[in-house]
Amino acid sequence: MIKKIYLIGNPNVGKSVVFSRLTGVQVISSNYPGTTVEIAKGYLILGQEKVEVVDLPGTYSLDPTSGAEEVAVSLLKELPKDQIAVINIIDSTNLERNLLLTVQLIEEGYPVVLCMNMCDDAGHRGVYIDFAKLEELLKIPVIATCALTGQGIKLLTERINEAISAPKPGLTHQDRWLEIGKIIEQVQRLEHRHHTFREILEDASVRPVTGLIMAVGIIYAAFKFVRFAGEGIISRITDPLFMNIYRPLLEKLSAPWQEKGFFFHLLIGDLISGKIDFKQSLGVLTTAPYIEFGMVLPYVISFYFILCLLEDIGYLPRLAVLLDNLLHRLGLHGYAVIPVLLGFGCNVPGILSTRVLESKRERFIACTIISIGVPCVPLQAMIFGLLGKFGGWYVSGVYLVLFALVIILGVILNRTLTGYSPEFLLEIPPYRFPPLLMLWKKLYLRIKGFLVEALPVVLLGVCFINILLYFKLFDFVTAIFAPVIHGLFGLPKEAVVALAIGFLRKDVAVGMLMPLGLTANQLFIGATLLAISFPCIASFVVLAKELGIKGLIKSTAIMVTISIIVGSALHFLVLH
Amino acid sequence: MKKTSLVQIKADEKAKVLEILGGTNLESKLLSMGVYKGKQVVKLSHIGLKGPVVIKSGRSILALGHSVAEKIIVEKE
Repeated sequence: MIKKIYLIGNPNVGKSVVFSRLTGVQVISSNYPGTTVEIAKGYLILGQEKVEVVDLPGTYSLDPTSGAEEVAVSLLKELPKDQIAVINIIDSTNLERNLLLTVQLIEEGYPVVLCMNMCDDAGHRGVYIDFAKLEELLKIPVIATCALTGQGIKLLTERINEAISAPKPGLTHQDRWLEIGKIIEQVQRLEHRHHTFREILEDASVRPVTGLIMAVGIIYAAFKFVRFAGEGIISRITDPLFMNIYRPLLEKLSAPWQEKGFFFHLLIGDLISGKIDFKQSLGVLTTAPYIEFGMVLPYVISFYFILCLLEDIGYLPRLAVLLDNLLHRLGLHGYAVIPVLLGFGCNVPGILSTRVLESKRERFIACTIISIGVPCVPLQAMIFGLLGKFGGWYVSGVYLVLFALVIILGVILNRTLTGYSPEFLLEIPPYRFPPLLMLWKKLYLRIKGFLVEALPVVLLGVCFINILLYFKLFDFVTAIFAPVIHGLFGLPKEAVVALAIGFLRKDVAVGMLMPLGLTANQLFIGATLLAISFPCIASFVVLAKELGIKGLIKSTAIMVTISIIVGSALHFLVLH
Repeated sequence: MKKTSLVQIKADEKAKVLEILGGTNLESKLLSMGVYKGKQVVKLSHIGLKGPVVIKSGRSILALGHSVAEKIIVEKE
């Protein structure tokens, strides 16, 4: 009687894709090891029964050497072996390395079904496997699948029941490799192929000179695309919608509203020379939806499109190799580029994915650097929207300041923090070109995630601010902080409100700067300060979860100190 | 036959692993990834002076931090 099904396998063999196929639960999958940092659970109908399916983080063996592997192995021991089934997922293009875990699972008496995934790719790469022979040698069900297309998944579910426990005496890893070598000789035939274009690219991207040229080219192209596509969506779709349809509609509906009292102020906001101005009115129905849909969402779409593409192709681990040297100086190693890049989308998944880093020290450095120096897409979109019209220098200026901060802060943390930073050891996946449908699904998941998280906060946030403004409740706070904001940072005292709102959401906070009529330099300081000061509340919560209260306090203290220093320094440099 | 570390051999050279220094944790980690005594590997590249080393072991491509590569003692073929 199977009560639970576990999916286990080496990192980056497509466990999450198989999981989605089995359970219908959509989870994010990418082409790099360590995408799954949280355990996903779902259900599969097996005969009459509904059985729980658990997607475990990738592991190379049952002797854990990292935190994620430990989690995988301990979960596997939750239930007695006769109540579970284990689907061991294997990358068919790399059978030999994957079999170590399989052999170990069989030895320890787990009821195993072998799911030979990516078997279409194996064929393309000249790897031919005799599945029947493998089944005979291992004495467990072996099923060839291609989870991306769904091929073989039905057969897999049908044969789960055939998994039986048949423990064997345990071997050492060294002996296991010998054993596996013998199996490979009998079941795998390699056809020698000339280097394909794909393999030449794979090779070139990890060599020093060609790799660097490719990296610069790809990052530049990605950045250009995000701006181009983001602006394109704004000028062709969202702006016409807001200006030509939504505004006239709102104006018509609110026209009979003669008395401009509390609710008018709350919903529509202030009229700017008798008209609704989406950037300055500050109403729940005007500025709030415009910030989210008209300024931020277009960039969220274009950014995640590029990120999903790079993730699925498998470029990111190669970037990690190239940046390892630099990141070592900051107390991190190459793989920290993954959390940092995710952080550019939204700091929350960025901070969560610092779990791919092993030591506490590394994770503290990575989390702090992400919170301070990595602006999320909503914030960046607003910076483009606001500072862009004053010229590219202001926008680049913000990035330059943030980059310099990351480097300086990283070097200092690396020199002062105790603890250790473990070594860089990473498997580089081959380039893969997943079907477009998979890309759209993932993009959809991420954009949905963004809207679900952001929209309620933005609407409630603007509502809340308007109530406070209407009843002049901010004046008290403004009065207290005015000396700091005005004296140190050279900003008008109304900017206090915007900086305080930064705790709620960064994009709304920048939006609050819009009606203040700031000069370019003041906007530059305000935007930079918003980027480096407190993270928004959502990041704050995950920071607390990931670093613990002590770590959070330490990290926050660093943020506040740096904000004050940088704000004053910029004020002195720019405004004097 | 000369013993050297993975850092010292050149790109595109083949070598056989003789020894892995640096404790059982690193050794067992590499072992579970398929790099063990007697395994033949090819060095693919070396990024910068103190940067990571990329090797091919079986059908896997592995990136090793500089100090990991220093601890893998090999024999050039």
